[in-house]
Amino acid sequence: MARLELDSVTKRFGDGGDAVVAVDDVTVEVPDGEFLVLVGPSGCGKSTTLRMIAGLETVTDGEIRLDGSRINDQPPAQRDIAMVFQSYALYPHMTVRENMRFGLEESTDLPADEQNDRVESTAEMLDITELLDRKPGELSGGQRQRVALGRAIVRDPAAFLMDEPLSNLDAKLRSEMRTELQQLQADLDTTTVYVTHDQTEAMTMGDRIAILDGGELQQVATPLEAYHRPANRFVAGFIGEPSMNFVPAAVEGGALTARRATAGDAFRYPLPAAAADAVDDGTDVTLGIRPEDIVVDAVDVDPDHAFEATVEVVEPTGSENVVHVELAAGPSVVATVDGLQQVRAGETVSVGIPGDAVHLFDARSGSALHSRSLDSVDLESRRVRP
Amino acid sequence: MGRPDGPRDGESTAGTRTDGGVADETAAGDLPDAAAGAASPLARLRRSEFVQSIPFWGPPGLLVLVFVYGAVGWNFLISLTGWQGLGQPEYGDLSLGAYRRLFEDPSFAAAFRNTAVLLLLFTVLSLLLGLALAILIDRDIRFENTIRTVYLLPMSLSFVVTAIFWRWMYNPVDGLINEAIRGVGGAVDAVVFWTAVDFGVADALTQAWISDPRFKLYAIIFALMWQFSGYCMVVYLAGLRAIPTAQYEAARIDGASAVRMYLRVIVPQLRASTMSAAVVLMVFALKAFDFLFVLFGVNPGESADILSVMMYRVAFDRRQWAYGAAIAMVLFAMALSVIGPYLYLQHRRGDL
Amino acid sequence: MTGPVDRRRAALYVVLLAMVAFYLAPLEAGLVTAFKTETGFLRTTPFVPPLGAEQFTVDAWRTAFGRLRQGLLNSVLMAVPATVLSALFGSLAAYGLTNLEWRGQVGVLVLFVAGVFLPYQSVLVPLTQFWSAVDLAGRVPLAVVGGNEGLIQLSITHIAYGVPICTVLFRSYYATLDEEMLEAARLDGASALTVYRRIVLPLSVPIFAVTLIYQFTNIWNDLLFALVLVNDPSNQVVTVALNELQGSFVNQYNLQMAGAFIAALPTLVVYVLFGEQFAKGVAGET
Repeated sequence: MARLELDSVTKRFGDGGDAVVAVDDVTVEVPDGEFLVLVGPSGCGKSTTLRMIAGLETVTDGEIRLDGSRINDQPPAQRDIAMVFQSYALYPHMTVRENMRFGLEESTDLPADEQNDRVESTAEMLDITELLDRKPGELSGGQRQRVALGRAIVRDPAAFLMDEPLSNLDAKLRSEMRTELQQLQADLDTTTVYVTHDQTEAMTMGDRIAILDGGELQQVATPLEAYHRPANRFVAGFIGEPSMNFVPAAVEGGALTARRATAGDAFRYPLPAAAADAVDDGTDVTLGIRPEDIVVDAVDVDPDHAFEATVEVVEPTGSENVVHVELAAGPSVVATVDGLQQVRAGETVSVGIPGDAVHLFDARSGSALHSRSLDSVDLESRRVRP
Repeated sequence: MGRPDGPRDGESTAGTRTDGGVADETAAGDLPDAAAGAASPLARLRRSEFVQSIPFWGPPGLLVLVFVYGAVGWNFLISLTGWQGLGQPEYGDLSLGAYRRLFEDPSFAAAFRNTAVLLLLFTVLSLLLGLALAILIDRDIRFENTIRTVYLLPMSLSFVVTAIFWRWMYNPVDGLINEAIRGVGGAVDAVVFWTAVDFGVADALTQAWISDPRFKLYAIIFALMWQFSGYCMVVYLAGLRAIPTAQYEAARIDGASAVRMYLRVIVPQLRASTMSAAVVLMVFALKAFDFLFVLFGVNPGESADILSVMMYRVAFDRRQWAYGAAIAMVLFAMALSVIGPYLYLQHRRGDL
Repeated sequence: MTGPVDRRRAALYVVLLAMVAFYLAPLEAGLVTAFKTETGFLRTTPFVPPLGAEQFTVDAWRTAFGRLRQGLLNSVLMAVPATVLSALFGSLAAYGLTNLEWRGQVGVLVLFVAGVFLPYQSVLVPLTQFWSAVDLAGRVPLAVVGGNEGLIQLSITHIAYGVPICTVLFRSYYATLDEEMLEAARLDGASALTVYRRIVLPLSVPIFAVTLIYQFTNIWNDLLFALVLVNDPSNQVVTVALNELQGSFVNQYNLQMAGAFIAALPTLVVYVLFGEQFAKGVAGET
C-alpha cells in the first residue's frame, strides 16, 4: 500500500559525449492502489523507468519516492517492492513452493510455518496449490506466469512492478490473464506499475496510462482520455488500432487545404467553428481523424465534409472491415466500417469526415491544438474499480 | 471541451513537477533523509556492485596477479641479472646481455626456426584434418558419439603417455609405422617385381623416424597432430552445428554441389572456430615441451630443438638462469603476439 | 538413383572407420605389446595380440605398477584438491566478473583470460625461486603436513595456473544464466553471496562437471611443473615416475606400454565415463 512518485527522473547511460539519455525528466505520481501502465514503443525507456523504481538501475537525476520517502539509494531488497519479469525469472532448481518462499526467507524474519501459510494461501488464491511441489521446468507457460505472480504477491509488497508479464503467453491465454490480473490487482488494491508495448493491454488494464517516447513522458491520462484527448500526435498515433489518420494541411480562411503533387483539385476541408478558433490562419497543422469516425459511402454527411474516393483495399476482420480509400483530392486514409457493410476494392464511394471528430496538431511540435468534441463520455471512467 | 489546451488537462506532468519540487525540499529538510543523505556516498560505495564483487574475484585474482603477472615480471627481472650457477640472482647489476646473446647463439636460431615450423605446420595440418573430420561427422552418421569419442581420445592422454606410444610406433625395426610401410611397400614391390626392376620401395621408405635429423621434427608434428586434431574436430563441429539447417537447404536449392556448398557457404562461417582453435594450437606449439622431453630428454638435437625445450635445458640443466629467463621472455612475447590481437578482436566483437 | 548415394555413404563410413583405426592404432599397439614377452614383441607385428602362451605375460604390468604405485598415489593427493579448488576459484571469479555488473570488469577479465595462454616456461625460473623462498620461511607450518611440501607446492601452483581457464569456462556458462532471475533474487532480498550460494551454485552442477573433468585431466597429465617443482623422490607424481621408467627400461617396450596405460588409467576412465563433459571443456577453452 503506497503512493509512488517519480520526480524529474532521468537516466543517462555512459558519460561525457557519448552519453545516451534513456529516460528524460519523467515526473509522474501513482496514488495508492492505482494500476498505472507504462506504454510506448521499444526503446522508449519504459523498462528502464521500471528498473529504476525497482532499484536495478541507478537514478542519474531526480528522485523516486515511496510514500513520501526517497528510495533512490536504497538497495532493491529494502524497497518493499516485488517485480514480475517478462521471462518470469523463476529459479529452475527450486520447486514452486521454494520459489515463492525464497523472498520471504531472504527479506523477512517470519517464522517458517508462517512463511508456509502465506505461500499456501497465495497459491490457493492463484489456484496453483497442486503445482507447489513441482519445478518450473515441469510447468506450462501460463502456469509459470502464475507462479511468477505468486512469488510477487506472497511478499505482500508496497508496490508491484510488472515488466511485460504477459508477452510470452499465446494470444488466448494472454487475454484471459489480462482480465484475471486486473481483478487480482483490484482485489489486492496494491499500487502497480505495469510496463507493456501493447497498447491494447494498456487501454484495457490501466487505471491510467503513461505514454513514453524517446525517454520522454508524452501524456499521463486515463485510457479514454488518452484516446479521445491525445496530448500530441505521437499519443494519437500510438493509441488506437488501426491508428489515427494524419493529413498534413495548412489553415486558410477557416478551412484546411492540402497541396498535392499532381494537378487537380486540392483537398479542402472547412473547419467547424470550435476547431477554427483553435488555429491561426496561415499555420501548418496536421489533421487527425480516427478510422472509425470516417463514414464510408455516406448518404447523410454534410456535403462540405464529404469527399469522393476510390476504395483501394478492403481487409475484412469479421466484426469490421478495414477500408483503405484514396480521396480524389489527394490523401489516402484508412476507415473501419461495420463487418456487414459491403465495400469492394475499386469502387468509387463517398467518404465523410465529420467535423466534430477531427483532431488538429501543430505541424512542427506535434502538440494537440484541438481535440474532437464529445457529448457524454466519462473520460474519468475506470475499469473494474468499484 | 474542445479548447486548444484541452488535452493538456489530462497530463499530470506539469502539475506534479512543481509539487515534486516542494516535496523534495521538505523531504530533505525533514528527517532521517538528511542523515541518509550525508552518509549516502559511503553507503552507496559499500552497496555498489563493484565492492560486493571483490570477495568473489579478489582471491582468485590475487593468485593470477602473483603467479601469472608477478612471475612474468620477476622472470624479466631475472633475465637482466646474468644469474647462473648455484648462487642467488644479483638484482643490483642489470643488463640486456642475455638478450644480446640470443642473437649470437646459433642454437637459439635453430630452435626459433624449428618452433616456427612446428607452430605453422602443426596448426595448419591439425585444423585441416579437424575440419575434414567435423564435416564428415556432421553428415548425420550412425555411432556419431562413439566415433567422436575415439577421435578426441588422444587429447585426454598425457604427453608422457603419448610420447611413449609414439616412440614404439616410430621404432625403426618393430614399430607399427615402418611395419605398415613395409606391408604396403612390399605389395608395391611385389607388383613392380613383375616389371623386372626392383625399386626396393619398402626399404627406401622405412626410416628411423625420430632419430634421423631429416624426419625428427615432422615425426613429432605428425604425432602431435594425431593428438590434437580431435580437438579441432570438436571446435569445428560446434561451429558447424551453430549454422542453421536452413542454410544447407537453401544452398542445395540454389543448386550448389556439396563441395561448393562447403567452400562457399559453410567454411567461411567457421572463421570464428578457426581463429579460436588456431590460437589454442599455436600457443600450445609454443609451450610444447613434455612430448619432446620424454622422447629426447633435454637434447633433441639441432633439427628438433624448440624454444620451450631449449629454455628448460639452458635454465634447469645448465643452470644459466638468466639466459633461460630471456628465452622464456621470447616465448612469452610470441604468445602475446598471438593472443593479443585475438583478445582484441574478441573484445571488439563483444565476445569477452 | 540409390546406387551412387549408397556408395557414397559406404565410402563415408570407410573413411570414418579408417580414422578410428588411425586414432586407436597407437593405443592398440601399446595395449597388445604390454601383454607380450620381450621375444613376443620383437618377433610379432605390433598390433597382433600375443601368439601363444610363451609370448603372453602380465609381468610387465606387475613391474610397472610396482614402479608407479607411489606416483599414482601422489598424483591423486596433488590433483584432486588442486582440481576442486581451481574450479571453485574459477566459479567465484566468474560470478564476480559476469553476474555482478561493474565498470572495468572487462579489463580484469582480460587479465584472467590472457592467463589461459601463458607459456609456463616464462614463469618457471621465478616459480622455483618463489617456492624455495617460501620453503625456508614456511618450514614450521609446512612441517605439519610431514614431507609432502613438494606435493603441496605443486598443488597450489596448479590451482593458481588453473584459475584462468576455470574462470573462462564458468564465465561462458554464467553469461547464459537468466539475468532477470538473478535480479529477481536480489529483489527478493538476497545478498550477492546468497544469490551465489542459493541460486548460482546449485545451477552450476553441469559446468562444475565439465570444469572438474577438464582440470583433473590437465593437472594429472602435467609433466613440466612436476619436473621443476618436485625434488623429493618420495613426492614424485606419476608422470615424472613414468618418464623415469621409460628412461631406465629403454628397450623394454612391454614395460613402457604397461606403465603408460597405468599412468593414463585415471584419465582414461574419466574420459570414457564423461567424454561429453571433457569435449565441452576442450571446446570451451577459448
